[in-house]
Amino acid sequence: MKKFAVIAILILAAVVLLKAQEGAPPPAAPAQGGPGARNTAAEAAHAGAAERGRSLFKQNCAACHGEDATGGRGPDLIRSTLVRHDKNGDLIGPVVTNGRVEKGMPAFSNLTSSQIEDIVAFIQSQLTLFDLHTRFGPYPNDIPAERLATGSVEAGKAYFDAHCSSCHSPTGDLAHVASKYNPPDLEVRFLYPSGAPSTAVVTLPDGKKYEGTVLLNDGFYIGIQGKDGWYRSWPANSVKVEVHDPLAAHAALLDKYTDADMHNMFTYLETLK
Amino acid sequence: MSQLVFHCFASPPTTCHSGRSHALLSFPARSAGRVTQSRNLSSGLPIGASAAVLLIACVLTMTSAPAQGLDPSELLKPLSRDWPTYNGDYTGRRYSGLAQINRDNIGSLTLAWAFQTHSASLQSTPLEVGGILYISGGNQIWAVDARTGRQIWHFVRPGAPVSGANKGVAMWHDRLYMTTPDAQLLCVSAREGKLLWQIQVADPALKAFGGVAPLVIRDHVIIGTSGDTADLPGFLESVEPMTGKIEWRWDAMPHKDDTVAWNSWPHDTDVATRGGGMTWITGTYDPELNLLYWGTGNPHPVENSEARVGANLYTCAIVALKPDTGKLAWYFQSSPHDTHDWDTVMTPVLFDGTFKGKPRKMLAQANKNGLFFVLDRTNGQALISEAFVPANWVKSYDDRGQPIPDPDKEPKPDGVLVTGGVGTNWQAPSYSPETGLFYVNSRETMGVFYLTMPGKSAEGWAGRDFFLGSKSMLKAIDVQTGKTRWTADTLGRGGQFGILSTAGHLVFTADMSQNLVALDASTGKALWHMYPGGNLGTGPMTYELDGRQYVAFLVDSVAYAFALPAPESTGATATAMAGR
Repeated sequence: MKKFAVIAILILAAVVLLKAQEGAPPPAAPAQGGPGARNTAAEAAHAGAAERGRSLFKQNCAACHGEDATGGRGPDLIRSTLVRHDKNGDLIGPVVTNGRVEKGMPAFSNLTSSQIEDIVAFIQSQLTLFDLHTRFGPYPNDIPAERLATGSVEAGKAYFDAHCSSCHSPTGDLAHVASKYNPPDLEVRFLYPSGAPSTAVVTLPDGKKYEGTVLLNDGFYIGIQGKDGWYRSWPANSVKVEVHDPLAAHAALLDKYTDADMHNMFTYLETLK
Repeated sequence: MSQLVFHCFASPPTTCHSGRSHALLSFPARSAGRVTQSRNLSSGLPIGASAAVLLIACVLTMTSAPAQGLDPSELLKPLSRDWPTYNGDYTGRRYSGLAQINRDNIGSLTLAWAFQTHSASLQSTPLEVGGILYISGGNQIWAVDARTGRQIWHFVRPGAPVSGANKGVAMWHDRLYMTTPDAQLLCVSAREGKLLWQIQVADPALKAFGGVAPLVIRDHVIIGTSGDTADLPGFLESVEPMTGKIEWRWDAMPHKDDTVAWNSWPHDTDVATRGGGMTWITGTYDPELNLLYWGTGNPHPVENSEARVGANLYTCAIVALKPDTGKLAWYFQSSPHDTHDWDTVMTPVLFDGTFKGKPRKMLAQANKNGLFFVLDRTNGQALISEAFVPANWVKSYDDRGQPIPDPDKEPKPDGVLVTGGVGTNWQAPSYSPETGLFYVNSRETMGVFYLTMPGKSAEGWAGRDFFLGSKSMLKAIDVQTGKTRWTADTLGRGGQFGILSTAGHLVFTADMSQNLVALDASTGKALWHMYPGGNLGTGPMTYELDGRQYVAFLVDSVAYAFALPAPESTGATATAMAGR
């Protein structure tokens, strides 16, 4: 429904506002784990070149620049100004071919131009990899479940039985939940599944009651969409308002989780494949 | 590794008269290219003609023509009718003594005018000098008649995209200065909106960018820099206002002869030369002590602790510098060895008063890390270090009042739950000397922080964080105790919005439901609100013209000016009526 889409957009906007702290133009970002990279033919070709480049780099460059190109005896290429300004090898190519003898880098005149292209593709893929470990995506959701499942299944189940089972069931609404979400999404969602709208009962001075989904509640006005689909709003001080937040229990739990509770719960939920 | 920089001129300065006596002359643009010159929308008259009309109008209604341009000595005076620098004045209080709009008459506040920029969301705080507002966006500036909201000129940087954020311009005599999304500093003529020169400040290929409003101190233009994707070093620079020539540069990364800073980083890798300490929000200045106060951003790699064992000076610090030389007088590190991206760029707000029976020159900051600090600004010693939202990452405080972080709350491969993060952000707070309260839009958050790139060769972000449910509210903090006196009382109030307080006993800001609001400065009670159809981009500002006080808000792409209802119209119709 449209209103849910609007709410979802507002929440996403809030997340983006929270994150865009420097006012950097944030790239279109999946805030909580994104889809994997699209696999076009061009990307596949580039990935192939980068893979060939990886072994060439290891063979010829890694001794000084490190296997991951972060440097060692020689400069870090990830942060290299020359590398960052390179376009399809126009700057890197001549350095590889001619070397920088005065700085101790030999010439690699034995490498063919297509080999150099592969090496450039590898270096560019390393830049992308390092930049993906930044705040803004899109990035592959590459936190594997094994890394997060450091707790105890038994302790997680005990926590679930004590705190969650009055609303949720591992064979009901949460059946196969671990197959539905990738690992960090699963963790973030059980901690706080944002997005469910509040509902409210509004009582008018004459005693008439209206119930619906809250679309506006700013302290000045209350606006709800009723089951009949119609939107109605009132000045907040003219009516009695009872708001029900379906996430209230999650919000209360959020303040109480220890890190161990989080790890145990994830480890348990991950068994619900 | 040395950074590629660059103050390259498009062509050498040719008409730079030295000395301020010539500064009001206009100089031809040094960079060739298109500069859009708009016409006055109302009359369709060329700029010169409409300016003449305006001038006549001014002469008719005022005892003297307004002084145009800004002599930097004006900035040394207390804030009065204008708003001549990013925070209004050097103190960063965003407190105005204007009281025409006050808590008794705020209910009759009305829209004076609206100015549509037809641009992306604006984040800037406009300047108001001599009846002209200067509103900025990425690579563009609008000069607007502050009485009427009519455009005077629109500067678009030749050949550059009009996108990206900008926090504001600075003014020096008849010139404006702004930083750009591709990390340049522009100098623009304030009379006509023409580009005079531009210089490259940092390297955008390394993900550096600009946006911070420069700060003019006497004949220095102080600029900071932004960028937090790749590792690059932060700095402050002072440039000559006429030429853009660098006078000094202060580096957030340590120099070897500064042993305190140098020893706060490991040196078995080159991490100490790489990055962090961005200076992306405008600082404040105390002319008596002649000290410039500026906050620095987080260290890099951002969420990896192992790669940079130590306090990592001068990242996440408030630094006090001599503005003529860039020499450090003192520092206070608000997040030693930060691993959560908790920049310390929030405005260091200056005020004087008695603290525990002793007269003090103070500096207060509500930090992104959830802590509120009051420092003695002569030496950087903390008088108060106190959490204003829950902050579970603090283990204790050292003898200077700097927090000692809990290593258990550093990002971990399997995640760690952290409170206190983004307790507030860059949007300016406000301090009212009348109430002794520091107003800040705060947020209680729970974040989960994952280390995704462990090891000593980590770079860039090296981690990932998700913020879960958060509670926003405006807090009024007592600067004598650091305790919250009150929080604004209705739903959803408080968010990432700047704040203005006034002698009208009012606090202006916006709430989480996008309402513009005015609160009682003593109690937080909402006295006025208005839904403007969008998001307040930054803090409101205020000014007075012809004896009428205006409060301006930038909402998405629109500037709104509110005032009390105008005195009886002097227009043609009214005159005709009076003649009967």
